[in-house]
Amino acid sequence: MDITQDNIVEQENTTQHYEVLIELGDCYTSVGDYKQAQQCYEKATSLSPDAAEPYVGLGVLALQENRLEDSEIAFRVACRLDAKCSKGYGGLAMVAQQKADYDRAFEMYLKCLELDTDNLIALLGLFQVSCQTGSFSKVIHYLELYLDMHPGDSAVKFSLAALYLRDGRFVESKKALVDILTLEPSNKEAGNLLEEVEHNLAQTRQAGVQIG
Amino acid sequence: MEGPCKENVEPLVSVLMPTYNRRRFLPVALASAIDQDYSNLEIIVIRDGGEDISDIVNLFRDERIVFINRQENRGKPFTLNEGLRRARGKYICYLDDDDVFYPHHVSTLVNALETQVDYQAAYSDLYRVYCRIEQDGSRKVLSKVVDVSRDFDRFVMLYFNHTLHVSLMHRRNLLEKTGFYNENINILIDWDLMRRMVFFTDFYHVHEITGEFYTPVGDCDRVSVQKRKDKNAYLKNAMTIRTTRPAKPWTKLEDVSIILAADCLNEQVGKTLGSIWASTFYPYKVYLPLQQADLDRLDTGMPGMAGVAVDGQSSVSQRIDAALRQCDGDIVAVVPAGFEIDEFWLEDSLYALINSSVEHEGFELEASTAEHWAVVVKKEDILSARRRFAELSLRDSLVTAGVGIRRVRSEDIPFQFDELLCQAKATGQCGDWAKAGEMFEYIAENYQNKFYIYPKAAEAFYEAGMYEKAGEISNRANAERPTVETLLTEARVKREKKEFNSAVKLLEKAEQVLEGTNCYGYYTRQYC
Repeated sequence: MDITQDNIVEQENTTQHYEVLIELGDCYTSVGDYKQAQQCYEKATSLSPDAAEPYVGLGVLALQENRLEDSEIAFRVACRLDAKCSKGYGGLAMVAQQKADYDRAFEMYLKCLELDTDNLIALLGLFQVSCQTGSFSKVIHYLELYLDMHPGDSAVKFSLAALYLRDGRFVESKKALVDILTLEPSNKEAGNLLEEVEHNLAQTRQAGVQIG
Repeated sequence: MEGPCKENVEPLVSVLMPTYNRRRFLPVALASAIDQDYSNLEIIVIRDGGEDISDIVNLFRDERIVFINRQENRGKPFTLNEGLRRARGKYICYLDDDDVFYPHHVSTLVNALETQVDYQAAYSDLYRVYCRIEQDGSRKVLSKVVDVSRDFDRFVMLYFNHTLHVSLMHRRNLLEKTGFYNENINILIDWDLMRRMVFFTDFYHVHEITGEFYTPVGDCDRVSVQKRKDKNAYLKNAMTIRTTRPAKPWTKLEDVSIILAADCLNEQVGKTLGSIWASTFYPYKVYLPLQQADLDRLDTGMPGMAGVAVDGQSSVSQRIDAALRQCDGDIVAVVPAGFEIDEFWLEDSLYALINSSVEHEGFELEASTAEHWAVVVKKEDILSARRRFAELSLRDSLVTAGVGIRRVRSEDIPFQFDELLCQAKATGQCGDWAKAGEMFEYIAENYQNKFYIYPKAAEAFYEAGMYEKAGEISNRANAERPTVETLLTEARVKREKKEFNSAVKLLEKAEQVLEGTNCYGYYTRQYC
């Protein structure tokens, strides 16, 4: 040890108040007290002007209240302050989706998932938007990435199985559905889809025999 | 609270407030002293030169304020001494011009000292407030952390201060033993006085948060911070403090006499003396048995040194015996010239000896070898051994006299709490938060200071994703003494469990403390 205060006192803590306000803002949002939440996020911006998080919070609030322009501005600020703010891009995607701008929504969801493959909301958003635009190949990639980390998520696995089926990848679709049914034998949706996949597989085999 | 005052008449308390160029924050500090729930106060405001503050002091129109309006800047120790000379209170406490007492600060500490009559001094806990100074000069609160909540530890106090000046209250008559502030040093002046206090009293720790002291982040203009930037001056001050020995008798500390055994005054002796001076924090006095001619050549500038004139032909044992006859320490360390000296070279063995329950026991110093043998023993044991077996070597005489000599074991040494704390922090920083949490928990259960350690344990378990454990510890801490840290951790756990309403309640409480709605905010609105 040396004769220095550092042995006795703690490291400088400069983010505590900011953290309390962000937590409080998020909790107020969760219980639907948007006015209080807004105050917290605004206060947090004054404590830490370069932080993206409070702007994400403000964007979410505006989105909840259907103030799409305000929401978009807040998410844009968040992304400008932090180029790796996945939630900011996710927010921009949701705003675009609300505005029925599916191409932009698709692009923003992808950007969000590039930064955070674990973001389930973005993943499901991407899935929804894909249904509108019909472009599934990238969705499959992110669903697979997500399932690598969350192999037990049967809802996402079911979506993936459906996309495989739509893409003509029956064997992969069947495997995903069998996995679901192994864990959840009473999952009717998976059972029904498996029947459809089996039917497609049988037809494919039959076609193969006839050609052969 | 520590229990009510026994006496009906409140003893007078002197609050010393030195101030220098802090017009901006002085009103809040002064208001917090005036608004105590304890009325029998004299608030001695001492202007140490700088900007005029008469208007601020007059604004309060409180007859309990004693205003010393000095235009010349003489420094903080001089200013505090000026206040002490004017003080009439049974108890003295201190408030810096940019800090804040909560309304129960004085009453809490008076209660402690009135009920704990064996103690001459008491201290409470404070929030360290990290703040940013805005362009308009106001302070934006970034965090409030109780970061020095240590139960009294004499060895730590001798090594470095673990109490805060603003949290201290002591009996005025304690100064008759310790003396006033040392006007020859300009930093760590509070530690200097408190260190002298530990020679005469234990400090009573009140586990309550009774105020705030402010730490601006970034480059701040605090005089004490600016002065600490000069490393040499800082070390010189620290060395002066460490070598200060108040007048005896010391009621709470055993004095150590170090006998430096050497044949003659040479470079090796000089180096050993220098190392003792640089590395020893426990109060000591060095006895150097040398020929008169050598003593005449000795630089007497080193504090705590006494020459002992001996015959040039005398043996090492005879020299040690000559020095022993003059030693006035309760404990004696005998060290050969050239002995390897580094940090804790003496204190590890000394601590073991002081705390040993075994009679007639001595400890070899850590770096001791057959060639360079060094020992620390009770004076009565070494005197007895030398009287009875003067013809033997020092070691043989001690052993023959029945003094058990051994080396220290890890469980004997001081600063075990600090060592474990460092290890737990390092474990957390390496990412093993679960292990760190267990270590913090172990420390809290075995080494007191639970209010200091619980927040760290809870946070570590939270980081490890062990929410049940984090919630349980932070909840226990909040039930006894909530702080912003523990409220935040418990709220985070509640949030993880989707108990949002409970989380909101905890966070609102934390925000209330951070905003100072109970005290600081009120003063700011009133006076700034």
